[in-house]
Amino acid sequence: MNEPILKTENLCHVYSAGTPFELTAVKDVNIEIYKGEILGVIGHTGSGKSTLIQHLNALIKPTSGAVLLDGRDINASKDSVRQARSRVGLVFQYPEYQLFEETVYKDIAFGPKNMKLSEAEIDERVRISAQFVGVEEELLDRSPFELSGGQKRRVAIAGVIAMMPEVLVLDEPMAGLDPGGRESIMENILTYHKKTGAAIVIVTHSMEEAARHAGRMVVLNHGTVAMDGTPEEIFSRGEELRSMGLATPVMTDLSERLAALGVKLPRTVYTVEQMTRALLELERGCRDAS
Amino acid sequence: MLRDITLGQYFPGNTVVHRLDPRTKILLVVLYIAALFTANSWASYGVVVVFLAAAMAISKIKLRVMLKGMKPLIFVIVLTAGLNLFYTRGEVLAQWWIFTVTREGIRSAVFMAGRIILLVMGTFMLTYTTSPIMLTYGLELLLSPLKKLKVPVHELAMMMSMALRLIPTLIEETDKIMSAQKARGAQFDTGNLLEKARAMLPILIPLFLSSFRRADELATAMEARCYHGGEGRTRLRVLRFELRDFAALGLGLSVLAAVIVIKRFSL
Ligand SMILES: Nc1ncnc2c1ncn2[C@@H]1O[C@H](COP(=O)(O)OP(=O)(O)OP(=O)(O)O)[C@@H](O)[C@H]1O
Ligand SMILES: [Mg+2]
Repeated sequence: MNEPILKTENLCHVYSAGTPFELTAVKDVNIEIYKGEILGVIGHTGSGKSTLIQHLNALIKPTSGAVLLDGRDINASKDSVRQARSRVGLVFQYPEYQLFEETVYKDIAFGPKNMKLSEAEIDERVRISAQFVGVEEELLDRSPFELSGGQKRRVAIAGVIAMMPEVLVLDEPMAGLDPGGRESIMENILTYHKKTGAAIVIVTHSMEEAARHAGRMVVLNHGTVAMDGTPEEIFSRGEELRSMGLATPVMTDLSERLAALGVKLPRTVYTVEQMTRALLELERGCRDAS
Repeated sequence: MLRDITLGQYFPGNTVVHRLDPRTKILLVVLYIAALFTANSWASYGVVVVFLAAAMAISKIKLRVMLKGMKPLIFVIVLTAGLNLFYTRGEVLAQWWIFTVTREGIRSAVFMAGRIILLVMGTFMLTYTTSPIMLTYGLELLLSPLKKLKVPVHELAMMMSMALRLIPTLIEETDKIMSAQKARGAQFDTGNLLEKARAMLPILIPLFLSSFRRADELATAMEARCYHGGEGRTRLRVLRFELRDFAALGLGLSVLAAVIVIKRFSL
């Protein structure tokens, strides 16, 4: 396997150390993120997902352990922090609340401007990233505060994409949107992934989305990594997931129930398409046998 | 981080001090301050210190936590001590350039610095052991006689408790917005004053917007639950003085009395 672009080594983070509110949010986490992959991060509320991902671009410093970008500690110097900030893009939960500029254009340009790019480059990046997230040209001159919630979210994501990060980390990018909105934002992210080959780390509460898009998944439980593997491996451990307060995708549930009734599907399924295929295969198998 | 500020914070607990009626605690602080400002000798300061130490021990508030909270005040304390040290006339002990140290100067420097430290620690005891809600409720009850003079006591208390409630939220929000802008390469600690001020805009604008939104939502939520001011409003938890409150007040009064007696007879 190729070298990971980003990895954490025995990462620990303690909030408010030394006060009565002391809390270990992340404990001994070792994860690796490879070039061009989509990594899903799931875990119950308060399991430390947001804390973990804020380490990935040096927004939070580890209490102990390290984060390595191309093998180098990102917290080593001011310069390495700055590098990490531009190479690892982080989209926070509800990013629309961070918009502040007079126009959508200026807001998207904020990141590239901080990277000290030339005017021409900034302009190009703004237009490209607006396209990635499906924000039309006409909107660029409007005030971001006049947009709808879903549009604001897109503009905020464009603001991070405009920095053209090699690793794009998103904290529940679809939270609070309707199914149509979720679907299309996910598609925007996938387009960015395909066109640029950037690695994507996506924190989500939706097992379906994780299952459908992620090539690999990490499950956090009380600040530690409980599982790390392909969706197939992870969803085959439904009982454990449920004991951590997580659900399995509906289709996986269904296949487990079928199994209880004596209908054995050929493999683990977690999307509707896979279920359809598995059932068709099963039917064909029966027909051939008879 | 911003969040680590402990000034005026509440540390939940379940000790007798925590359970005291907030009115008792406010009155105790008043008595304590009166005693502190009456005290003028080692003996009387000793009484005050013993009282504070006992309260700290019972409430399990650590000295380290208190001292940490006092950090922002170090400058004031040092300045006061310095002024008293060099500008008090009396028996000269040492002299250097324009500075003269006198026996009386040392004494008053120690007493003044001690007074400020003890004053702050005493008020910290109140906020560390009383939740903001209880604190404002206590204040409201203590000030309620002013209602006769048409002072909107309830409304003031409500505003205060909302402000107290929103401070941590605001700090949290500031933290979050700062992180988000930092993730886009914003820098807050470089450049000259004007550049630094400009760099605050990406934080201030979202912060203002969300504060207004929050205030608006809070008002709507209150109206939806029929809030109409203090008139005829009842409480979920009604405060009643218990035996321990009388005991605590008695103790506070005797501390003040002791300090007065010591001063009177210059023991
Ligand atoms: N700035 C902070 N100061 C103190 N404690 C914090 C802070 N941020 C998070 N925590 C605590 O750390 C733990 C992990 O929080 P975190 O936000 O990483 O969880 P999460 O997995 O992202 O949860 P969610 O799914 O609800 O977003 C929680 O118990 C939380 O209360
Ligand atoms: Mg989170």
